[in-house]
Amino acid sequence: MDATSLLQFLISGLKNGSIYALVALGFTIVYAATGVVNFAQGEFYMLGGMASAWVMTALHVPLAVAIAAGIALTVAVGLLMERAFLRPRRDAGPLVLIIITIGASLLLRSLARHAFGANELALPSFTSGPSLQFLGAAIERQALWVWGVTVVAVAALWFVYERTSLGRAMRACQVSHEAARLMGIDTAKVVMAAFGLAAALGAIAGIVVAPLTQTSFDVGARLGLKGFAAAILGGLGGFRSAVAGGLLLGVVESLSVAFISSTYKDAIALVLLLLVLFLRPQGLFGHAERVKV
Amino acid sequence: MSAGRGVSLLGRWALPLLAAAAVSVLPLFTSDPYLLKVLTFVGLNVIIVTGMAVLFGYAGQISLGHAAFFGIGAYASGYVTTALHWPFLAGAALAVALSALGGLLLALPSLRLKGHYLAMATLGFSEIASILFVEAKSITGGNDGLSGIPFASLGHFRVDTPQANYWLVWAVAMLTLLAVAGVVRMRPGRAMSALHGSELGAQACGVDPVAVKVSAFTLSAALAGLAGCLYAHFLGFISPSSFGLETSIVLLAMVVLGGPRSLAGPVSAAVLLTLIPFMDSIVPGLSSGVTTWLQDWRGDLYGIFIIAVMLFAPGGISGAVRSVRGWQARRQAGEEAAP
Repeated sequence: MDATSLLQFLISGLKNGSIYALVALGFTIVYAATGVVNFAQGEFYMLGGMASAWVMTALHVPLAVAIAAGIALTVAVGLLMERAFLRPRRDAGPLVLIIITIGASLLLRSLARHAFGANELALPSFTSGPSLQFLGAAIERQALWVWGVTVVAVAALWFVYERTSLGRAMRACQVSHEAARLMGIDTAKVVMAAFGLAAALGAIAGIVVAPLTQTSFDVGARLGLKGFAAAILGGLGGFRSAVAGGLLLGVVESLSVAFISSTYKDAIALVLLLLVLFLRPQGLFGHAERVKV
Repeated sequence: MSAGRGVSLLGRWALPLLAAAAVSVLPLFTSDPYLLKVLTFVGLNVIIVTGMAVLFGYAGQISLGHAAFFGIGAYASGYVTTALHWPFLAGAALAVALSALGGLLLALPSLRLKGHYLAMATLGFSEIASILFVEAKSITGGNDGLSGIPFASLGHFRVDTPQANYWLVWAVAMLTLLAVAGVVRMRPGRAMSALHGSELGAQACGVDPVAVKVSAFTLSAALAGLAGCLYAHFLGFISPSSFGLETSIVLLAMVVLGGPRSLAGPVSAAVLLTLIPFMDSIVPGLSSGVTTWLQDWRGDLYGIFIIAVMLFAPGGISGAVRSVRGWQARRQAGEEAAP
């Protein structure tokens, strides 16, 4: 394989990897605030893309308005889900909460099919024009949007976490919910903010990728799994490891298409997920946790 | 007092026996092929849910991968009986063995993990299986599916009528229930209950949590594979859409609605939830609009069921029955104590 094709696969991998990173960040934020894996995270991704594409075609509004509507709807769904379904049972233990998020994922997927239809939808590219050339490899203009949006989203997230009082509260909850509550932190607000942020990140990922790959009501589960795989690669720990995990997963997946098989592209990411789960559940960059009585 | 115990003992056996008798004689009174087909589906789900009830209710684990084991059983037996002309029983044995092996290989590493990782691992496994069902075309027929699968047979006796298939599936379902009910009453079941209470506590009492959970998971995978085999030979045609994530979530909904530490609860829930989209088979004269609506909205309904049970009645059906019984017992005790 020549260097140009390799570069092309690398670019494609980094493009998909950014999407995985955004979804992985959603998993990480909710996990940090609640200790629970949100099985509906992939549905936020689906909802963002589907709602925006539907609003744009059905209501004939400009792209920017459709995007804002898609993000707003998804964030509203995320907040509502936390407030109505999860908060009433927040002391019930992880199994109950996980089952609720599984139920919510099925509900959101089915509702999306009824609201937006069973057909595939797409958004137009954010900026039109031919692909750019870079060392002989082609880069779609939308790929630049994917990277730009990812960088902005991660920077915004960093700002919220490191520079605002809400972020300080979220970091405190990550260490210990009980201690944070005793220090006068409104933990319910923190959990709700986490769901809002996770929903926004999922929606943004689903929207920015919608011009490249069409979207439909049932894309959430598989993309959610890959986002989770990325988060697990990073150890479900911090933002940097989630982003690194996402990019790594994207590149590995893309290279496996180049060298192994394009038919089993999706399966390779999932086999990787199982291997990491089995061999290094603490992630590639994490340390093993010890369980105490 | 002793009269009360006699009644409860009678109650414990009378209801299942009555249900078993009713299920057994039903085909003598109807030959409606649609009704029998729907009730055969119910029996298949009872087989799968019995295994998952052990996994959820006694070992405290959830799986999003049981549709995949169901599919492995269906494709294994379907393939060897059509392409390689194996006899039905050999196909069935292979189906059970392969799904059990798959369950064991998945359970061994992942049950060392905490609960949410296990659920995610089963989901990943299920998606890998879905990809294989579509892409391994030489075995599975891809999206077109596998057709021409022969009826179940034993020597010259072929299970080729709706009644016979109904009886076969329900006979297997009842034997499964009987066997599993025995297992959960004895030592393995008590060990699982102990785990459900406190994993560390159970460990201190000499229960090996990994061994118990791996056995529960393998058993439930084997039962799903068995059901898949029966499904393939009963329908004669299988395709990947039957073995996807949505099927797994529906099965989970049955177990969750049924409630933990019970077989009767999940079995009742399996009957109930399987019948919802086929309401027209048991309610004569139901308008086709209602049926179409139920089938169209079943995903939304199952999602709402799962959430509602977790929010308002985490004990499910069995929990509700238990609390009603407890209330009755308390009231009786109160009456006896009164002068």
